[in-house]
Amino acid sequence: MSDSRQPLLKVRDLKVTFGKGRHEVSAVAGVSFDIYPGETLGLVGESGCGKSTTGKALMRIIEPSSGSIELEGSSLIGRKGKALRNFRTHMQMIFQDPISSLNPRRRVKDIVAEPLDCWKTVSGNERDVLVSDLLSKVGIDPKVYGNRYARQFSGGQCQRISIARSLAMRPKLLICDEMVSALDVSVQAQILNLLEDLKSEYGLTLLFIAHDLAVVKNVSDRVAVMYLGKICEIGPSDALYEAPAHPYTKFLLGAALEADPDSPMHNQVLEGEPPSPLNPPSGCRFRTRCPNATDKCASEEPQPQELAEGHFVSCHYPLTIQKK
Amino acid sequence: MSDAVHELLVVKDLSTTFTTMGGPLPAVSDVSFTLARNETIGIVGESGSGKTVLSRTIMGLQPRTNVTVTGSVLLNGNEMVGATESFKRALWGTEVAMVFQDPMTSLNPVMRVGKQIDESLRVRLGMSKQDAKTRAIELLELVGIPSPAQRYMAYPGQLSGGMRQRVVIAIALAGSPKLLMADEPTTGLDVTIQAQILNLLDDLKDRLKMSVVLVTHDLGVVATRTSRIVVMYAGRIVEIGSTRDVFSRHRMPYTRALLDSSPKVSNASHTRLVAIPGRPPNLLQLSAGCSFAPRCSFATDKCHKERPELQAADEPGHAFACWNPLPTTMEQQS
Repeated sequence: MSDSRQPLLKVRDLKVTFGKGRHEVSAVAGVSFDIYPGETLGLVGESGCGKSTTGKALMRIIEPSSGSIELEGSSLIGRKGKALRNFRTHMQMIFQDPISSLNPRRRVKDIVAEPLDCWKTVSGNERDVLVSDLLSKVGIDPKVYGNRYARQFSGGQCQRISIARSLAMRPKLLICDEMVSALDVSVQAQILNLLEDLKSEYGLTLLFIAHDLAVVKNVSDRVAVMYLGKICEIGPSDALYEAPAHPYTKFLLGAALEADPDSPMHNQVLEGEPPSPLNPPSGCRFRTRCPNATDKCASEEPQPQELAEGHFVSCHYPLTIQKK
Repeated sequence: MSDAVHELLVVKDLSTTFTTMGGPLPAVSDVSFTLARNETIGIVGESGSGKTVLSRTIMGLQPRTNVTVTGSVLLNGNEMVGATESFKRALWGTEVAMVFQDPMTSLNPVMRVGKQIDESLRVRLGMSKQDAKTRAIELLELVGIPSPAQRYMAYPGQLSGGMRQRVVIAIALAGSPKLLMADEPTTGLDVTIQAQILNLLDDLKDRLKMSVVLVTHDLGVVATRTSRIVVMYAGRIVEIGSTRDVFSRHRMPYTRALLDSSPKVSNASHTRLVAIPGRPPNLLQLSAGCSFAPRCSFATDKCHKERPELQAADEPGHAFACWNPLPTTMEQQS
């Protein structure tokens, strides 16, 4: 990328495969991207495209089969035991299901204090003050709710507690995997606003994984679109939504439903379903559903090309160029 | 509206109350609306607003114990409230059918999908085995499943989520129902598949002259596919009207808040969302006033003490329940 800033996270050719032999599935088939300090990178795609696997592989919750992951220049691959655990304190993850990601039998203040207790960074009074502070930051009154159990909270509140817990170690990077998709719209808006506030307050860098295009656009500076284990387009969110260059991005945006009766009925619906990653198509992975596909798409895999600054697309016939 | 013959579905003062350990839980209270033939109505609300209980009560699918249903549901002239199981069973499938949210749990995982469609044809319509199979394959084709004869033999686990939902729709259509209840039919499906399924439902509605009740939490789903919308909050209808009126001439602050709090693709990145503070009320501890009052920025003392009833707005068929309604477009201009 032409950006002169140093990326916080640098991912190159990340691959994750499951199974062996003829059951081998490449869930993530070579993904490269950078995340710069203080920005939010949105990662969108349909289910099965490998977006969650990418998020988990970055934390090495799922072991990547090849590729490199570097946080501030130091590699995460190859670290073991304490070195790996130590490294992970810089990266935290928030999961989709807020209720099952908290232990129902523990008190809220203990859940939030868990990372601090593990690493013994602070103790005693200082620890309690820090926990109370974190809980107030996410809008949970520590005096009233601190001693309650996680099971006594609603989904939105549990997600707030998850956020407080993830912030306890002052991470540099926060990976949010579908963190608002289980919430009602009114609560979802609260959590998204909270995330934006905390991001500026703590100077966080975010990888925001979600399937909802409107949600991703709302929080992201840049957006990467994944299809069948590969990134097909990545670029600044406004530019990418305004003028999608990859046919898949265009279809995906066309299928997004706007809460507006005057929005045009989308006649161009993408037909069919994603092919099985067990046996991905040759060349471009989208060619089986792409209306513009030619022989070249079947024989040659498109490489990322830069259309505008920071806007890359992997397509032989990008849409925006055709218009010119 | 009083002419029940022209309306396929007439719901009047319908209330469903569950008896729980914590006391009576009014899941649905005083709901009235009508649905014309070949019309699609959307029921919108957050979780716990009573939209699913309402659709199940209309079907007559409430549990047998610990539930009190009052009011009336006239489905093509048949009263569903208080009807016997055998009476309701005769209507299920042929008069009304339901498509549930989760296509995996509503199909039997160890039964071939073809057999699951056959079952309905043979039991409801008394078809022979061979006729049922022919018809089932026709239905699979109707819902857009490629190579239906092969898919007839497939198990649900061999199909994707979108295909399973198509099978569920095929089962629902087997008895040629006049009313199709679709409870969150596309939640959990990907956006491109969601668009396919919604287009399919739209297309089938016109081809088979059905009426559709589309229950969803997603305003985007109902925006372009319904003629009228019911907005529910804490078990009550808070606004009802034509889709256009509800979206652009809403009077109830909750409807406005719901629209404002959903992120939009057309907005620029980092647009601040207008969140609704607090969360939906506990139905066991409802106040005497408006249920939305604690979260409403326009609430006054009256809102907390006295419950507003639905009152007619300027547009025909448009009604809202609010003491301090948002100004109409006319009032805004003046």
